[in-house]
Amino acid sequence: MSDAISMMIWSYIFTLTIAIIVVAVYGMATRPNLVKKLILLSIMSDTASLLAVLIGMRKGMVKPPVFPGVTYTEHAPVTQKALEAFALSAVDPIPQVLVVTAIVIGLAVLVFLGYVVLLLYQKYGTLDARLLEKKLRGEI
Amino acid sequence: MTATRDLALGVLSALIVVILMYMLIGSHVVAIPPTQGQRWLSWKFLTSTYNWQDKALWAGSPEVVTSVLWDYRGIDTVYETSVFFLAIIGGLMLVRDYKPWGKPIGKGMSLISRTVVKIVLVAVPVVAASIALHGHLTPGGGFQGGSVFAVSSLLAIIGLGTGFLLGRGWSKSKLLGFRTLGLIIISSIALAIPFLGLLEGLHAYIIQNQWKPWAPVGFGYLASIPGLGTILYSGTLVFLNIAEFLAVSAGLSLAFIIMSLSREEIKRSGGVEK
Repeated sequence: MSDAISMMIWSYIFTLTIAIIVVAVYGMATRPNLVKKLILLSIMSDTASLLAVLIGMRKGMVKPPVFPGVTYTEHAPVTQKALEAFALSAVDPIPQVLVVTAIVIGLAVLVFLGYVVLLLYQKYGTLDARLLEKKLRGEI
Repeated sequence: MTATRDLALGVLSALIVVILMYMLIGSHVVAIPPTQGQRWLSWKFLTSTYNWQDKALWAGSPEVVTSVLWDYRGIDTVYETSVFFLAIIGGLMLVRDYKPWGKPIGKGMSLISRTVVKIVLVAVPVVAASIALHGHLTPGGGFQGGSVFAVSSLLAIIGLGTGFLLGRGWSKSKLLGFRTLGLIIISSIALAIPFLGLLEGLHAYIIQNQWKPWAPVGFGYLASIPGLGTILYSGTLVFLNIAEFLAVSAGLSLAFIIMSLSREEIKRSGGVEK
């Protein structure tokens, strides 16, 4: 594949991911429904994770960062040459590690916010942020 | 007024996309399209994790992601697990006055859905346990396995009703107990090696995995089990994966069960109106 086409495809993918993140932020700012805000928050964090994994892609290196052929019972010592051949074919593991952490923290935040939204609905009977603000001020 | 504000926000967002993209392409942090060759740190991780020739920095596991997560950067992951624990504890604190345990709630879905859910319900926990137990050999690990297990409890809640799980002895204290047990195992493994080092008067690190020339204490990596031969268990990795699996699956199942309780049930137990 020529460099120009490759450049175009990659620019398209990166622009799309960043656009999704920005659209999610826009939606969180403008949608009044709390559940929609929560959904957009999860879309935003997942897309950010996707962006991190994309940055870990290297040219021609598409195998998972796991040394192949090792099981519980088959674990022969590995030569330096095989190890370097593996390291030249695997994707970058560091963005994946960061993404695992980010997913766990994102899930924790999501679970907690889910409880908060649930309780707000139980207590005030609405998920509309504008109505909720009025009810909290005691105007309704 | 609102329309004008939304339009302004939209234009601003589009501008941010253009600026970010311009900076991303203009900077040399991220090459578009990706260039060849590993980055320096990634090369170090990839070549030292399973290096049988030079064991000074190895983790004894072919899985680089799990090794970085639980060995090279173990303390970070321990704190991450604590954050997850605190989030679930915080959520439970908000709903602490609910007392719906032991009562069947909801009847689930139609007969077809119930049958399918019952078939899938056998397979999903098996896959989850496999992902967790092979965390140091194949892609996956304790957190991934725990999340898959939580999917099975979510399926049971939606397909068969919350009463299905509550009727089989799943209770808040039991699930919280498993959650805490997982965290206790993780923290005791993290402190076991420094404690051993202290007893023998040797250098050792918190959450150290393998023997190092300057810190000669370690968990080992091969074990002989009669009938199975020698198995590769990669030191602390397999135990930490199992503990994390326990913690995440119990914590997420508990969170899902409490979220699924009906509004009337919550009102009757008097948790909200205070």
